[in-house]
Amino acid sequence: MSDQQRPALAVVGWELLRLGAFAFGGLGATLALLQRGLVDRRGWLRQEDISEALAITQALPGSTGIQVVSYLGWRLRGWPGALVAAGAFIAPATALMIAVAAASLALPDEPWVRGALAGIQVGVVGLIIAAMWRLARNQAKNAMLTAVLLTSCVVGFFVHAVLIVVGAGLLGALLSKEKSDG
Amino acid sequence: MDNVIELMARFLVVGAFAFGGGGAALPLVERITVAETGWLTPQQFAVGVGFAYATPGPILILSAFVGFYVAGITGALAATVAVFAIPVVLAAGSAGVVARLNRYARFRAFGRFAAAAAVGLLAVTLAALTRPVVELHPGLLAGALAVFAAERFGLSPVLLLAIAIGAGAAAGAAGF
Repeated sequence: MSDQQRPALAVVGWELLRLGAFAFGGLGATLALLQRGLVDRRGWLRQEDISEALAITQALPGSTGIQVVSYLGWRLRGWPGALVAAGAFIAPATALMIAVAAASLALPDEPWVRGALAGIQVGVVGLIIAAMWRLARNQAKNAMLTAVLLTSCVVGFFVHAVLIVVGAGLLGALLSKEKSDG
Repeated sequence: MDNVIELMARFLVVGAFAFGGGGAALPLVERITVAETGWLTPQQFAVGVGFAYATPGPILILSAFVGFYVAGITGALAATVAVFAIPVVLAAGSAGVVARLNRYARFRAFGRFAAAAAVGLLAVTLAALTRPVVELHPGLLAGALAVFAAERFGLSPVLLLAIAIGAGAAAGAAGF
Protein backbone atom coordinates (compact mmCIF):
# COMPACT_ATOMS: atom_id res chain seq x y z
CA MET A 1 0.00 0.00 0.00
CA SER A 2 1.47 3.38 -1.00
CA ASP A 3 1.81 6.11 1.58
CA GLN A 4 -0.95 8.33 0.18
CA GLN A 5 -3.45 5.51 0.61
CA ARG A 6 -2.55 4.87 4.23
CA PRO A 7 -5.27 6.33 6.44
CA ALA A 8 -4.19 8.70 9.23
CA LEU A 9 -3.79 7.15 12.68
CA ALA A 10 -6.60 9.30 14.09
CA VAL A 11 -8.97 8.19 11.32
CA VAL A 12 -8.10 4.52 11.98
CA GLY A 13 -8.79 5.12 15.69
CA TRP A 14 -12.11 6.82 15.01
CA GLU A 15 -13.32 4.09 12.64
CA LEU A 16 -12.41 1.31 15.11
CA LEU A 17 -14.04 3.20 17.99
CA ARG A 18 -17.23 3.38 15.92
CA LEU A 19 -17.05 -0.33 15.06
CA GLY A 20 -16.21 -1.27 18.66
CA ALA A 21 -19.41 0.39 19.87
CA PHE A 22 -21.50 -1.92 17.66
CA ALA A 23 -19.55 -5.18 17.91
CA PHE A 24 -22.36 -7.17 19.51
CA GLY A 25 -22.90 -10.88 19.02
CA GLY A 26 -19.51 -12.56 19.17
CA LEU A 27 -16.77 -13.28 16.63
CA GLY A 28 -18.89 -13.99 13.53
CA ALA A 29 -20.86 -10.76 13.84
CA THR A 30 -17.65 -8.82 14.62
CA LEU A 31 -15.93 -10.10 11.47
CA ALA A 32 -18.93 -9.09 9.34
CA LEU A 33 -18.89 -5.65 10.95
CA LEU A 34 -15.14 -5.22 10.29
CA GLN A 35 -15.68 -6.18 6.67
CA ARG A 36 -18.48 -3.66 6.21
CA GLY A 37 -16.47 -0.90 7.91
CA LEU A 38 -12.90 -1.46 6.71
CA VAL A 39 -13.43 -3.16 3.34
CA ASP A 40 -16.79 -1.98 1.97
CA ARG A 41 -17.08 1.48 3.50
CA ARG A 42 -13.49 2.70 3.84
CA GLY A 43 -11.84 0.55 1.18
CA TRP A 44 -8.64 0.32 3.27
CA LEU A 45 -8.35 -3.47 3.08
CA ARG A 46 -9.54 -6.44 1.05
CA GLN A 47 -11.77 -9.29 2.19
CA GLU A 48 -8.75 -11.62 1.90
CA ASP A 49 -6.91 -9.53 4.52
CA ILE A 50 -9.63 -10.28 7.06
CA SER A 51 -9.62 -14.01 6.23
CA GLU A 52 -5.82 -14.06 6.54
CA ALA A 53 -5.94 -12.22 9.88
CA LEU A 54 -8.49 -14.74 11.16
CA ALA A 55 -6.52 -17.77 9.99
CA ILE A 56 -3.32 -16.58 11.64
CA THR A 57 -4.69 -15.21 14.92
CA GLN A 58 -6.91 -18.21 15.67
CA ALA A 59 -3.82 -20.27 16.47
CA LEU A 60 -2.64 -17.64 18.98
CA PRO A 61 -3.95 -17.27 22.54
CA GLY A 62 -6.36 -14.41 23.19
CA SER A 63 -9.71 -12.96 22.12
CA THR A 64 -9.76 -13.57 18.38
CA GLY A 65 -11.91 -10.53 17.50
CA ILE A 66 -9.51 -7.99 18.99
CA GLN A 67 -6.55 -9.89 17.52
CA VAL A 68 -8.02 -9.60 14.03
CA VAL A 69 -8.41 -5.86 14.72
CA SER A 70 -4.76 -5.62 15.88
CA TYR A 71 -3.51 -7.53 12.86
CA LEU A 72 -5.46 -5.28 10.48
CA GLY A 73 -4.31 -2.19 12.41
CA TRP A 74 -0.70 -3.30 11.87
CA ARG A 75 -1.38 -3.72 8.15
CA LEU A 76 -2.73 -0.15 8.01
CA ARG A 77 -0.20 1.76 10.14
CA GLY A 78 2.36 -0.64 11.66
CA TRP A 79 2.72 -0.93 15.45
CA PRO A 80 1.05 2.45 16.25
CA GLY A 81 -1.85 1.38 14.02
CA ALA A 82 -2.21 -1.96 15.85
CA LEU A 83 -2.19 -0.37 19.32
CA VAL A 84 -4.55 2.48 18.38
CA ALA A 85 -6.93 0.11 16.58
CA ALA A 86 -7.05 -2.35 19.50
CA GLY A 87 -7.42 0.40 22.12
CA ALA A 88 -10.15 2.23 20.20
CA PHE A 89 -12.01 -1.00 19.49
CA ILE A 90 -12.36 -2.00 23.17
CA ALA A 91 -12.80 1.54 24.56
CA PRO A 92 -16.64 1.61 24.29
CA ALA A 93 -17.00 -1.81 25.93
CA THR A 94 -14.52 -0.90 28.69
CA ALA A 95 -16.45 2.27 29.53
CA LEU A 96 -19.74 0.35 29.57
CA MET A 97 -18.34 -2.40 31.81
CA ILE A 98 -16.98 0.16 34.30
CA ALA A 99 -20.40 1.83 34.37
CA VAL A 100 -22.30 -1.42 34.99
CA ALA A 101 -19.77 -2.60 37.59
CA ALA A 102 -20.23 0.69 39.49
CA ALA A 103 -24.02 0.44 39.11
CA SER A 104 -24.07 -3.19 40.30
CA LEU A 105 -22.25 -2.19 43.50
CA ALA A 106 -24.84 0.54 44.19
CA LEU A 107 -27.94 -1.65 43.72
CA PRO A 108 -30.47 -1.56 46.58
CA ASP A 109 -31.29 -4.83 48.36
CA GLU A 110 -34.87 -5.10 47.08
CA PRO A 111 -36.76 -8.28 46.14
CA TRP A 112 -36.96 -7.26 42.45
CA VAL A 113 -33.18 -6.59 42.35
CA ARG A 114 -32.44 -10.00 43.86
CA GLY A 115 -34.82 -11.50 41.29
CA ALA A 116 -33.13 -9.67 38.42
CA LEU A 117 -29.68 -10.86 39.59
CA ALA A 118 -30.96 -14.42 39.81
CA GLY A 119 -32.29 -13.96 36.26
CA ILE A 120 -28.81 -12.97 35.04
CA GLN A 121 -27.29 -16.03 36.74
CA VAL A 122 -29.82 -18.34 35.09
CA GLY A 123 -29.30 -16.68 31.70
CA VAL A 124 -25.51 -16.91 31.98
CA VAL A 125 -25.61 -20.64 32.78
CA GLY A 126 -27.68 -21.15 29.61
CA LEU A 127 -25.32 -18.98 27.53
CA ILE A 128 -22.24 -20.83 28.78
CA ILE A 129 -23.80 -24.17 27.86
CA ALA A 130 -24.43 -22.71 24.40
CA ALA A 131 -20.85 -21.39 24.16
CA MET A 132 -19.45 -24.75 25.25
CA TRP A 133 -21.62 -26.54 22.70
CA ARG A 134 -20.43 -24.28 19.86
CA LEU A 135 -16.76 -24.27 20.90
CA ALA A 136 -16.72 -28.04 21.40
CA ARG A 137 -18.05 -28.58 17.88
CA ASN A 138 -15.38 -26.23 16.51
CA GLN A 139 -12.46 -27.62 18.49
CA ALA A 140 -13.16 -31.36 18.79
CA LYS A 141 -12.29 -32.07 15.16
CA ASN A 142 -11.06 -35.64 15.66
CA ALA A 143 -11.07 -38.44 18.23
CA MET A 144 -7.81 -37.29 19.84
CA LEU A 145 -9.00 -33.70 20.34
CA THR A 146 -12.34 -34.96 21.65
CA ALA A 147 -10.47 -37.11 24.17
CA VAL A 148 -8.40 -34.08 25.27
CA LEU A 149 -11.57 -32.00 25.68
CA LEU A 150 -13.36 -34.66 27.74
CA THR A 151 -10.27 -35.35 29.87
CA SER A 152 -9.93 -31.67 30.72
CA CYS A 153 -13.64 -31.58 31.68
CA VAL A 154 -12.78 -34.03 34.48
CA VAL A 155 -9.19 -33.17 35.35
CA GLY A 156 -10.13 -29.47 35.43
CA PHE A 157 -11.80 -30.00 38.80
CA PHE A 158 -8.48 -31.06 40.37
CA VAL A 159 -5.61 -29.45 38.47
CA HIS A 160 -4.77 -25.79 37.81
CA ALA A 161 -6.33 -24.52 34.57
CA VAL A 162 -3.10 -23.10 33.11
CA LEU A 163 -1.28 -26.41 33.66
CA ILE A 164 -4.03 -28.26 31.79
CA VAL A 165 -4.00 -25.86 28.82
CA VAL A 166 -0.20 -25.92 28.53
CA GLY A 167 -0.01 -29.67 29.15
CA ALA A 168 -2.52 -30.36 26.38
CA GLY A 169 -0.62 -28.02 24.04
CA LEU A 170 2.67 -29.80 24.71
CA LEU A 171 1.01 -33.17 24.15
CA GLY A 172 -0.21 -31.89 20.78
CA ALA A 173 3.25 -30.61 19.84
CA LEU A 174 4.83 -33.96 20.81
CA LEU A 175 2.29 -36.03 18.89
CA SER A 176 2.55 -33.86 15.79
CA LYS A 177 4.79 -35.70 13.32
CA GLU A 178 5.47 -33.41 10.37
CA LYS A 179 8.02 -30.69 10.91
CA SER A 180 6.44 -28.17 8.63
CA ASP A 181 3.99 -27.93 5.78
CA GLY A 182 5.08 -24.47 4.69
CA MET B 1 -1.30 -0.73 44.64
CA ASP B 2 -0.37 -4.33 45.51
CA ASN B 3 -3.86 -5.26 44.41
CA VAL B 4 -3.39 -3.59 41.02
CA ILE B 5 -0.09 -5.37 40.45
CA GLU B 6 -1.58 -8.75 41.36
CA LEU B 7 -4.56 -7.97 39.13
CA MET B 8 -2.30 -7.20 36.18
CA ALA B 9 -0.09 -10.23 36.75
CA ARG B 10 -3.07 -12.57 36.88
CA PHE B 11 -4.79 -11.08 33.84
CA LEU B 12 -1.55 -11.18 31.83
CA VAL B 13 -1.57 -14.94 32.49
CA VAL B 14 -5.20 -15.18 31.31
CA GLY B 15 -4.30 -13.39 28.07
CA ALA B 16 -1.22 -15.51 27.49
CA PHE B 17 -3.13 -18.80 27.86
CA ALA B 18 -6.46 -17.90 26.27
CA PHE B 19 -6.21 -20.57 23.57
CA GLY B 20 -9.46 -21.04 21.68
CA GLY B 21 -10.53 -17.40 22.07
CA GLY B 22 -12.17 -15.33 24.80
CA GLY B 23 -15.12 -17.64 25.51
CA ALA B 24 -12.78 -20.54 26.17
CA ALA B 25 -10.81 -18.36 28.63
CA LEU B 26 -13.76 -17.85 31.00
CA PRO B 27 -12.60 -20.79 33.17
CA LEU B 28 -9.21 -19.10 33.67
CA VAL B 29 -10.94 -15.88 34.76
CA GLU B 30 -13.31 -17.76 37.05
CA ARG B 31 -10.42 -19.65 38.67
CA ILE B 32 -8.42 -16.50 39.45
CA THR B 33 -11.29 -14.21 40.48
CA VAL B 34 -13.59 -16.56 42.39
CA ALA B 35 -11.87 -19.81 43.34
CA GLU B 36 -8.33 -18.60 44.08
CA THR B 37 -8.65 -15.03 45.34
CA GLY B 38 -12.29 -14.60 46.35
CA TRP B 39 -12.28 -11.18 44.66
CA LEU B 40 -15.84 -11.88 43.47
CA THR B 41 -18.60 -14.16 44.71
CA PRO B 42 -19.90 -16.69 42.13
CA GLN B 43 -23.02 -14.52 41.85
CA GLN B 44 -21.03 -11.34 41.17
CA PHE B 45 -18.96 -13.25 38.62
CA ALA B 46 -22.13 -14.43 36.86
CA VAL B 47 -23.41 -10.85 36.73
CA GLY B 48 -20.10 -9.75 35.19
CA VAL B 49 -20.26 -12.53 32.59
CA GLY B 50 -23.84 -11.54 31.80
CA PHE B 51 -22.85 -7.94 31.13
CA ALA B 52 -19.77 -9.04 29.17
CA TYR B 53 -22.13 -10.93 26.84
CA ALA B 54 -24.54 -7.99 26.66
CA THR B 55 -21.97 -5.29 25.86
CA PRO B 56 -20.24 -4.99 22.46
CA GLY B 57 -16.69 -6.23 22.02
CA PRO B 58 -14.82 -9.27 23.33
CA ILE B 59 -16.14 -11.38 26.21
CA LEU B 60 -12.86 -10.88 28.08
CA ILE B 61 -13.96 -7.27 28.66
CA LEU B 62 -15.18 -9.04 31.78
CA SER B 63 -11.73 -8.13 33.11
CA ALA B 64 -12.84 -4.46 33.37
CA PHE B 65 -15.73 -5.56 35.61
CA VAL B 66 -13.49 -7.68 37.82
CA GLY B 67 -10.83 -4.95 37.93
CA PHE B 68 -13.39 -2.38 39.04
CA TYR B 69 -14.48 -4.62 41.94
CA VAL B 70 -10.87 -5.06 43.06
CA ALA B 71 -9.49 -1.53 42.64
CA GLY B 72 -12.00 0.89 41.10
CA ILE B 73 -11.39 2.57 37.75
CA THR B 74 -7.60 2.08 38.02
CA GLY B 75 -8.19 -1.63 38.51
CA ALA B 76 -10.62 -1.80 35.60
CA LEU B 77 -8.17 -0.17 33.20
CA ALA B 78 -5.19 -2.17 34.53
CA ALA B 79 -6.98 -5.51 34.16
CA THR B 80 -8.24 -4.62 30.67
CA VAL B 81 -4.79 -3.58 29.43
CA ALA B 82 -3.24 -6.69 30.99
CA VAL B 83 -5.68 -9.21 29.53
CA PHE B 84 -5.34 -7.88 25.98
CA ALA B 85 -1.63 -6.90 25.99
CA ILE B 86 -0.09 -10.26 25.04
CA PRO B 87 -2.78 -11.26 22.48
CA VAL B 88 -2.58 -7.85 20.77
CA VAL B 89 1.21 -7.90 20.59
CA LEU B 90 1.21 -11.48 19.28
CA ALA B 91 -1.43 -10.66 16.65
CA ALA B 92 0.30 -7.50 15.43
CA GLY B 93 3.65 -9.31 15.49
CA SER B 94 2.12 -12.07 13.35
CA ALA B 95 1.29 -9.55 10.66
CA GLY B 96 5.05 -9.16 10.24
CA VAL B 97 7.29 -11.86 11.61
CA VAL B 98 5.55 -14.50 13.70
CA ALA B 99 3.30 -15.59 10.82
CA ARG B 100 6.13 -17.93 9.82
CA LEU B 101 5.72 -19.85 13.10
CA ASN B 102 2.18 -20.62 12.04
CA ARG B 103 3.50 -22.72 9.18
CA TYR B 104 5.02 -25.16 11.64
CA ALA B 105 2.75 -28.12 12.29
CA ARG B 106 3.99 -28.48 15.88
CA PHE B 107 3.07 -24.89 16.69
CA ARG B 108 -0.41 -25.29 15.25
CA ALA B 109 -0.88 -28.65 17.01
CA PHE B 110 -0.02 -26.92 20.32
CA GLY B 111 -2.78 -24.36 19.67
CA ARG B 112 -5.36 -26.97 18.65
CA PHE B 113 -4.79 -29.20 21.69
CA ALA B 114 -4.60 -26.26 24.11
CA ALA B 115 -7.89 -24.92 22.71
CA ALA B 116 -9.65 -28.28 23.10
CA ALA B 117 -8.49 -28.47 26.73
CA ALA B 118 -9.66 -24.87 27.36
CA VAL B 119 -13.13 -25.71 26.06
CA GLY B 120 -13.25 -28.77 28.33
CA LEU B 121 -12.47 -26.50 31.29
CA LEU B 122 -15.76 -24.68 30.65
CA ALA B 123 -17.37 -27.62 32.47
CA VAL B 124 -15.63 -26.43 35.66
CA THR B 125 -16.90 -22.87 35.17
CA LEU B 126 -20.36 -24.17 34.43
CA ALA B 127 -20.35 -26.18 37.66
CA ALA B 128 -19.19 -23.14 39.66
CA LEU B 129 -21.95 -20.95 38.21
CA THR B 130 -24.68 -23.60 38.35
CA ARG B 131 -24.21 -24.35 42.06
CA PRO B 132 -25.58 -20.98 43.34
CA VAL B 133 -28.50 -21.22 40.86
CA VAL B 134 -29.45 -24.66 42.17
CA GLU B 135 -29.18 -23.35 45.74
CA LEU B 136 -31.73 -20.64 44.86
CA HIS B 137 -34.10 -23.21 43.36
CA PRO B 138 -33.35 -26.39 41.35
CA GLY B 139 -36.27 -25.56 39.05
CA LEU B 140 -34.31 -22.57 37.72
CA LEU B 141 -32.16 -25.04 35.75
CA ALA B 142 -35.11 -25.46 33.39
CA GLY B 143 -34.83 -21.74 32.68
CA ALA B 144 -31.11 -22.10 31.94
CA LEU B 145 -31.83 -24.97 29.54
CA ALA B 146 -34.51 -22.86 27.86
CA VAL B 147 -31.95 -20.06 27.36
CA PHE B 148 -29.51 -22.62 25.88
CA ALA B 149 -32.17 -23.95 23.49
CA ALA B 150 -33.25 -20.44 22.47
CA GLU B 151 -29.63 -19.44 21.79
CA ARG B 152 -29.14 -22.53 19.61
CA PHE B 153 -32.38 -21.55 17.86
CA GLY B 154 -30.72 -18.24 16.95
CA LEU B 155 -32.00 -15.72 19.49
CA SER B 156 -29.52 -13.00 20.48
CA PRO B 157 -27.75 -13.40 23.86
CA VAL B 158 -28.52 -9.74 24.61
CA LEU B 159 -32.24 -10.32 24.12
CA LEU B 160 -32.15 -13.55 26.16
CA LEU B 161 -30.38 -11.83 29.06
CA ALA B 162 -32.89 -8.97 28.95
CA ILE B 163 -35.75 -11.48 29.16
CA ALA B 164 -34.03 -13.38 32.00
CA ILE B 165 -33.48 -10.15 33.97
CA GLY B 166 -37.05 -9.00 33.37
CA ALA B 167 -38.53 -12.35 34.37
CA GLY B 168 -36.33 -12.48 37.47
CA ALA B 169 -37.23 -8.94 38.54
CA ALA B 170 -40.96 -9.64 38.03
CA ALA B 171 -40.75 -12.91 40.00
CA GLY B 172 -38.81 -11.16 42.77
CA ALA B 173 -41.29 -8.30 42.99
CA ALA B 174 -44.17 -10.79 43.08
CA GLY B 175 -42.55 -12.42 46.12
CA PHE B 176 -41.23 -15.72 44.76
